[in-house]
Amino acid sequence: MTFKTLYSERFLKIIFGLSLFIVLCMGGLAYQYIKKLSHTFEDVQYTYQVHIELEKLASLLKDAESGKRAFIISKDSTFLEPLLLSNQKLKNSLNRLKSLTNDSPAQQKNIRELEVKIDKSLEIFEKTLKLAQTNKIESPQFIAGFYEGRRTMNSVRFKIMEMTAHESDILGIRQAKSSKTLSTAPLIVYYVLILSLIVLLLTYIQISKNLKSLKEKNELLETFKESTTQSEIISKHGNWIWNVEADTFEYSDNLYRLLGEEPQSFKPTLENFMSFTHPDDLNKLTEQVNKMIENEDLPFIHYRIIQNNGTIKHFKAYGKVLVDSNGDRKLLGTTADITDEIENYRLIEERNLELERNNKELASFNYVASHDLQEPLRKIQTFISRLEDKEDKNLSSNGKLYIERIKSSSVRMRSLIDDLLQFSRTNKSEEAFEDSNINILLETAKHDLAEIISDKRARISSDKIPSMRVIPFQIKQLFLNLISNSLKYSRANIAPVITITYTQSKASELPKVKFSKHNLYHTITIKDNGIGFDQDYAEKIFVLFNRLHNKNEYSGTGIGLSICKKIVENHNGYITAEGIPNHGSTFTFYLPLT
Amino acid sequence: MLGDYTYVVLADDDEDDRLFFIEAFEELKIQTKVAIYKNGVELMQALNQLDAVLPNILFLDLNMPMKSGLECLKEIKSNTRFKDIAIAIYSTSASEEDIEDTFVNGANVYIKKPNNFNTLKKVLSDVVTMNWQYHTNGLNKDNFLLRL
Repeated sequence: MTFKTLYSERFLKIIFGLSLFIVLCMGGLAYQYIKKLSHTFEDVQYTYQVHIELEKLASLLKDAESGKRAFIISKDSTFLEPLLLSNQKLKNSLNRLKSLTNDSPAQQKNIRELEVKIDKSLEIFEKTLKLAQTNKIESPQFIAGFYEGRRTMNSVRFKIMEMTAHESDILGIRQAKSSKTLSTAPLIVYYVLILSLIVLLLTYIQISKNLKSLKEKNELLETFKESTTQSEIISKHGNWIWNVEADTFEYSDNLYRLLGEEPQSFKPTLENFMSFTHPDDLNKLTEQVNKMIENEDLPFIHYRIIQNNGTIKHFKAYGKVLVDSNGDRKLLGTTADITDEIENYRLIEERNLELERNNKELASFNYVASHDLQEPLRKIQTFISRLEDKEDKNLSSNGKLYIERIKSSSVRMRSLIDDLLQFSRTNKSEEAFEDSNINILLETAKHDLAEIISDKRARISSDKIPSMRVIPFQIKQLFLNLISNSLKYSRANIAPVITITYTQSKASELPKVKFSKHNLYHTITIKDNGIGFDQDYAEKIFVLFNRLHNKNEYSGTGIGLSICKKIVENHNGYITAEGIPNHGSTFTFYLPLT
Repeated sequence: MLGDYTYVVLADDDEDDRLFFIEAFEELKIQTKVAIYKNGVELMQALNQLDAVLPNILFLDLNMPMKSGLECLKEIKSNTRFKDIAIAIYSTSASEEDIEDTFVNGANVYIKKPNNFNTLKKVLSDVVTMNWQYHTNGLNKDNFLLRL
């Protein structure tokens, strides 16, 4: 953006310089044309003067000639008066001509020749006049002189005509020249005018374009400012600018609000800001600010302030140096009120501590369950076995029955403790995840159940399942629990048939998946032909200690399916159950495809 | 073997378990001599006497007051004088953690106390008649826990 502005500015400067140059040129040209015009005018005038002078010369000679003739005929001497005058006049006229044509060597030469001819003609004139006065008109000298006089007079006339013609030629050339320059002058002026108009137009277009974009940018800035103000208020932060060179500060309105003050209610100086700082943080902040002044950079800092009403707020600030188009450095800073974040963080920390405490309690409970609870139970069982072995013959049939009941109760208690332990140990730990062959895990589970499978003559078929990243022993446990569940709840006299199928499902098709970052799910279904269950209990069966059947009918602790649910959830998946009473049940678990 | 009998020692703070242990060996009729200590401290005192007769097999309960079975195990394994004693961990729990700890510290076998007297007899008989040389050479974490 900066570059573009500069470019436009340079363009305008060039245009302005160009226009100035053109106008100056135009002025110079006009001056020259006017000067030339006046020259031409002078030239023409001068040529006319030469003309007049030559005409005058010719007429003076004519006057003298006619005076002489009149005297010869009339013998009246009054006719000779103009003759005497014209002599002087001729001289004057010739002098004038000389001075008029002193710039033209050709005319000067002509004038000299003319002068000689005039002198000669005047000499002859005088000679013939004397002869006429002495009445020797009939004499051959007179007649010869008369003829000679006429000849010389003619040559004078011819010369004058020649000179007039020469002068006319010069005038003609000058006129042609001046008319040429004079006729092109307006055209050039016109062109220059058009050119400057075009330049002016271009300048106008550029300026108006600049103005338009300036206006647009201004509007954009205005909008931006408004949105900045809004976002400042919403995100609880304020902006400030430190003009490094001038050492002045500018605070945004919201920075004042963050300090609990009215916008622009005090002078934005460092001292005024520091006066809000919490005394405990003052040293730290001062140190950071000094560093900021020194390095012209402000890394993230955290401090507290006290508003005038006594409220303590946590602030976080950050600054970065910006060099503007004038080369001035500015430190643009942002200060955010992070009191809420700190409070939330504290709350989370507290809860974390509480959770940690709870976890520790659970862990110690685990130990109690695994060790302390098992020990007396084990002893009860061992003593019973001692009783059975050693005191069997001393017991009545009732006593034997009671012993049998105690025995089965203690067996049940043992399995409860074992399952509970397993449930609490089914935890999620990232390290435990590894790429595993699910088919092998399934086979291992089946192997563990081999005895009961063969006892019940169960048939188990399964699809090929791709490898997944799982906690292996948990997935094995999952298969073990689900298959043993199917085996346990088989219908009497019907061999269990268990079908394990694999498909892939899209997250969008799964009703229980709402906010998943995974698109695809592995879907594994375990279907049996057992006693099934009422669909109303589909959710309940996964709840810890929930059982659908009486202990006497089917042994079980009500923990197995809870463990399944926990395992699947540890893998970010979920499990569902469908049942049709006396027909069979279907358990489906979905694990995200990673 | 001391002559023709096996010297077996048990350290266990539980009176009932000590009773079961003694009774089981009585009924087993294997040539054994059984000594009993009530806790880890007593056991170590006895073993540390220079003229003490060292057992062939030492059964160690883990959860004992004052000195736990694990502490006894570490002490025994750090002393070369006791290098020939086969150590069988004899505990109520069979938690992964306990199994791991005792295996790493050099115990030879891990027995979870059975809840049936006849099973107990079988286990003890198996352990006493075990070929320790063979067992120790092929020992790994999987066969460390004695399957009942």
